Amino acid sequence: QENAESVAGTAISIQAGKFTEKGADTCIKCHDEDEAYPVFDIFKTKHGQKGDKRSPFASLQCEACHGPGVAGAEAMQEVLDQGGHVGKVRPGQKRPPILNFGIKSDEPVETQNTSCLGCHQDSKHIDWLGSAHGGGNIACASCHTIHIAEDPILKKRTQPEVCFSCHKKERAEFYKASAHPIRFGEMGCSECHAPHGSASGGVLIKTTLNQTCYTCHAEKRGPFLWEHAPVSEDCSLCHSPHGSMHTSLLIKRAPLMCQQCHSQFGHPRVAFTPAGLPGGTASGFMLSNACMNCHVQVHGSNHPSGVKLMR
Amino acid sequence: AQTPISTTEPGDIPVSTDTDVVTEELAQATDEVATEPQITPTSTDEESANTEALIDSKISLTKPLIPSGSYPVDISNWKCEDCAFEEGYSGEVELGVGNVSDKSFKFGEYNGLNEDGAFGIVNGNARYRDEDANFMNLSVQDLGLDSRSIEFDAGRQGSYKVFFSYDEISHAISENVLTPYIGNGGANLTLPATWVNASSTSGMTALASSLQNYEVELQRKRMDLGFSINQSSNWKYDIKFRHETREGAKRSAGAFFFNAAQLIEPVDYVTDEIDASVSYVGKHWQATLAYYGSFFSNDNKSLTWEDAFTPLVVGADTGERALPPDNLFHQLILSAGYQITDKTRISGDISVGRMEQDEDFLSPTTNTNLIVPALPRTSLDAQVDTLHGNIRVISAISEKFRFNADFNYFDHDNQTPQSQYTWVSTDDFVNTTRTNQPYSYTRQEFKVGGDYYFTGKTKLAAGVDFDSMERTLQEADKTDETTAWGKLIIRGFKFMDMTFKLSQAERDVSNYQVVPEIDPPQNPILTKYNMADRSRMTAGATINAMPNETLSLGVGIDYAKDDYSESTVGLVDAKEINLNADVSALLTEQSSVHAYVGQERIESNQNGSAGSVPTWFAKNEDRVNSVGIGYKHRLMEDQLDVGVDYVISKSTGKIHITSSASENFPDLEVDLSSIKLYADYRLKDNMSVHAAYWYESYDTRNWALDDVNTDTISNVLSFGEVTPSYDVSVITVSLRYKF
Repeated sequence: QENAESVAGTAISIQAGKFTEKGADTCIKCHDEDEAYPVFDIFKTKHGQKGDKRSPFASLQCEACHGPGVAGAEAMQEVLDQGGHVGKVRPGQKRPPILNFGIKSDEPVETQNTSCLGCHQDSKHIDWLGSAHGGGNIACASCHTIHIAEDPILKKRTQPEVCFSCHKKERAEFYKASAHPIRFGEMGCSECHAPHGSASGGVLIKTTLNQTCYTCHAEKRGPFLWEHAPVSEDCSLCHSPHGSMHTSLLIKRAPLMCQQCHSQFGHPRVAFTPAGLPGGTASGFMLSNACMNCHVQVHGSNHPSGVKLMR
Repeated sequence: AQTPISTTEPGDIPVSTDTDVVTEELAQATDEVATEPQITPTSTDEESANTEALIDSKISLTKPLIPSGSYPVDISNWKCEDCAFEEGYSGEVELGVGNVSDKSFKFGEYNGLNEDGAFGIVNGNARYRDEDANFMNLSVQDLGLDSRSIEFDAGRQGSYKVFFSYDEISHAISENVLTPYIGNGGANLTLPATWVNASSTSGMTALASSLQNYEVELQRKRMDLGFSINQSSNWKYDIKFRHETREGAKRSAGAFFFNAAQLIEPVDYVTDEIDASVSYVGKHWQATLAYYGSFFSNDNKSLTWEDAFTPLVVGADTGERALPPDNLFHQLILSAGYQITDKTRISGDISVGRMEQDEDFLSPTTNTNLIVPALPRTSLDAQVDTLHGNIRVISAISEKFRFNADFNYFDHDNQTPQSQYTWVSTDDFVNTTRTNQPYSYTRQEFKVGGDYYFTGKTKLAAGVDFDSMERTLQEADKTDETTAWGKLIIRGFKFMDMTFKLSQAERDVSNYQVVPEIDPPQNPILTKYNMADRSRMTAGATINAMPNETLSLGVGIDYAKDDYSESTVGLVDAKEINLNADVSALLTEQSSVHAYVGQERIESNQNGSAGSVPTWFAKNEDRVNSVGIGYKHRLMEDQLDVGVDYVISKSTGKIHITSSASENFPDLEVDLSSIKLYADYRLKDNMSVHAAYWYESYDTRNWALDDVNTDTISNVLSFGEVTPSYDVSVITVSLRYKF
């Protein structure tokens, strides 16, 4: 019921909306740098550029995105006249009837996003609608912050923290012993993922998972004379891309890792037990690089004698 | 992946203390705006029409609140007198010094801080703006370290942009590798003249005197150059070149039959990439035609090394291994989206690509005593054609119901010629012939689903996915998987947002049989897990609460379980559980705190067999606990910011194996504690002093390396690496100046 009212409320407030007489000057006399939620840094961004005719500040200014502002300004004034404080909306207090964005906004996500898509339904967002993030679940402003000079999600050093606010499992994974260097700011999530949607599973930047990995690991692309079938099929059959407690992002420790698929006659079918640890009969099948002590070409070999992935 | 992918999906609602009135900026911001607005005030009637459109917009997929192309109001009096439009130069420079207390390659694995001692801090950015929308941005980061980066772009907003960037990533792999080989980092490894070959490492009497330490490091240097042009509001052209080098070495190995030595493998790679695209944005449709090219080359074609063991046969004293061959990939991609009506959109991609590799073959052996028939070809002439297609329809059938359907097609068609190769087993013995197996794959996915909105903020989403995979030359020709899923999203219930997810998938495999070309033959009772019958169940719940403006709480659980109940040998089940809880609070106007705890459990069971029934059983249990706490405080009338971030990550890996006896491996352990303290003191409005202290402690237990010296394994001459363990502190002081 509350939600229904909210939706209706938005519609009614916009329906009754009148644009202000003076545009941004109406809004920023209060939303200045000294307020709790300053907006002035928008003038350091592309949205605050009047020389670009597509920019909001070359047109309807604040109201280009926030909608007609008279009702909002009047509501603010009413609170002020009553001696109230408008810096914050207190619990139980009604929000001013103006289109707000972000995680604390009462507006339905789609209402918020249509405001953004009015300009940004472009070639970079072809897959947005219907994508994992864009299926009506996530507001653009849940990830993007625009009233600051540099949106944190657009910088690789600050981007992961934004993503981790939802993707909490991944936040922990990058602290594992073997992980891509996200936590040192050397990589951003968007070096592999296309958050606005893509044709691949896991919203990856390339059409398949392997093609995405090859953008940084091109030496593994091959094709090789002797292929290791799971390698050319799907890197994630053996690797856990966000991090693993096992070396080289492997999902499991060798030799058990390899013995999930190899039970040929000879050593692959043998049980390797703690008897093979130092102190016992130290086993080359288990220690150092385990299977890869010999089968070092696990990603494929182009050597004429490399069928066993040893050359 | 074998371990089910637990799904922290984007349905989860973020908990953060972002600003109250935040709006959005989409990645490339206003670079790609659709239509040019024309300043034509409209009449009252039209304004009324607009408001109709606005109400309607909550069920429209794309219709903007404020339709572009016309203004519903006369803005000639909107002076924007108080607007602080930015013009001229501005920026920030940070100069300082830091010190790393101890050398540790693991601590400095990727951040350039792998050596002890002092380092310079040079960071900065500069920007220029003018009223005609001309701009320039320059940013430098970590100039004093091996992780340095520089980014530059300039142009006129809405018209064109040129950009350049340079980025280094150092990868400090290991500082305590021990090897008797000479020539490390190069392509020919030799043993010292005093070397004594032996049939086992214990007999290598010159080993101790020959060992030298080698630091294994890789340096990646990446340069991007490109430009984009907005020819009009409709057409946009982008081109980007990337030149990347990777130089250094990595850990590797080489074997002669059953004897092996760990070796340093040289890395001297160059990858060039081109991304070029033409985009069109129209009122109802958008399209991009793009080309992607990747060209990889390796300066080293092979690695040769002398056998440290007594050669098994005469002449088998030097081995040669192929290093990654040069390769290239071309791909053409067409993406398009079309707005059929306000409520229905169709979009899709189609791409064709080709991977090629034609490096000259190495000789089948370096052993001149062996007589090997001529190779069937001098190079592979490998070629894989790729074809990917995706089409997606999404339709808001009514205010309450949205429908979507998605079809994906992926084809990896390996055209590499098959030939028979007489292969030499590790330069020792000539074998019979083997035929190369160019694997091909075709995958088709069809997904259909719907969203039902109970209210504007509460919805139930459900669907069915069909995933079919065909393979050539492998055990199973085809696997078919059907997944049914549902998700309930409730926003704004009291002060909470909630998401519940559930899915069940069944994968069926047709006609699994051993591949006859594999020799020695695979055990017929083994089933490879990527081609096995599988039931997969996933479930998840997330609850985020904001009881008031200053407090947010979140808890989440994700569970996934795979059952390979038809598999006798191989992976038989896998399970993953993730738990997390978060809290963040504004304690006062000047202070805030956030904290989280998380646990991840990854478990699996697998069977092995030395015969026709399972004879051994192994259980893997990995557990990762993590805790993070952060606190920020603003003091001295906002002149001083202080803060602390503390993270603990503790991983434990247990392996239990039952064969003749039931035994546990020693626990694998990784313990990381990291604390960062920082203070920022404002001397003036535009100048501050920043000081930081970062301490990390890291400890590992790894039975694969612990107590494994160079000669511990009789048939593997090892690096004798010590598992990483460190206590490192980094102190930095810097001056930040804004102009």
